[in-house]
Amino acid sequence: MSAGRNTEARNRHDTAARARYLEAMIESHHQIDPEAWARLAQRFHAAIPHSLAIGLTLVDAGPPSVHMRLPYRDVFLGDIDAGLWHTGIAAVAADATCGLAVFLTLSARSAIATLDLRMDHLRPAVAGSALDVVADCHHVTQRMAFVTAVLHQDDPTRPVARATATFARTGRLAPT
Amino acid sequence: MSVRGSTLASALAAGDDEAMIAAVPYARYLGLIVRTDAPGRRAYVMPYRDAHIGNASLPALHGGTLAALLELAMQFEALIDTPAPRLPDPVDFTIDYWRSAGPAECIASARLIRAGRHVAQVQAQCWQDNPDRPIAFARATFVLREASAAT
Repeated sequence: MSAGRNTEARNRHDTAARARYLEAMIESHHQIDPEAWARLAQRFHAAIPHSLAIGLTLVDAGPPSVHMRLPYRDVFLGDIDAGLWHTGIAAVAADATCGLAVFLTLSARSAIATLDLRMDHLRPAVAGSALDVVADCHHVTQRMAFVTAVLHQDDPTRPVARATATFARTGRLAPT
Repeated sequence: MSVRGSTLASALAAGDDEAMIAAVPYARYLGLIVRTDAPGRRAYVMPYRDAHIGNASLPALHGGTLAALLELAMQFEALIDTPAPRLPDPVDFTIDYWRSAGPAECIASARLIRAGRHVAQVQAQCWQDNPDRPIAFARATFVLREASAAT
């Protein structure tokens, strides 16, 4: 089979996929410049009281990825003797970062809710250093969004934890 | 063993839940308290605070705070059942969100499913006004520390 016929067959059978692709193109991320994404991300982030209360800050945001940083505080300790962060606050940071990655990847058009979140704790997070979270919304469907995140301190090649979360698209937001 | 470590150990030995919570800064930060409605049945309560809100328009508690509450409840329950001078470390943790949590205190109960020599497997749920309408379910696996130092 020639390359041309192959393409034609693919096009014919993937009409639905092409329609979805076109819809995605219309809502394309590329139509929004990086500063606009940063403003949108900051606005979403600043509307979450708990994220602000713990001091979570936005480092970088460009769909499908978001990078947030949680500066160290003594109140985040789980083990005073060993000087280790509590893992619960890592889940808070992961949930917030994954949520923002999903929100931006859906072009800020969907209301979202966390359905589930899994944390794998690879090594302890040590006191004194910030916790960085980089989330990546790798797949979306009409109803769902899938996201993973890596948590690290200073060295991205030595993650302290990995997070996996699924979000439901709970409604359509008015254009911003 | 350091002074702080023995604080946790002595709180356990004395069965002093308040001192046990006080030995963990992040549990204190969330305002966690323990209520005992029957011997050996603890409810871990996260009092309501405006700073715990995640969605201001609903309003709803931040999902992360529910995860933290459930993780702490499981961790303390595992610690009480397998006493050690330090909290057990979670290896992995999973939470399913069943409904959103309103602006009110949230109550968690945890159950140690199995404790072997090296790991403990725990489950927990949390609710607000009605235990029959749970808000979230969590499970976790913890690495158990050496018990010898605690005894």
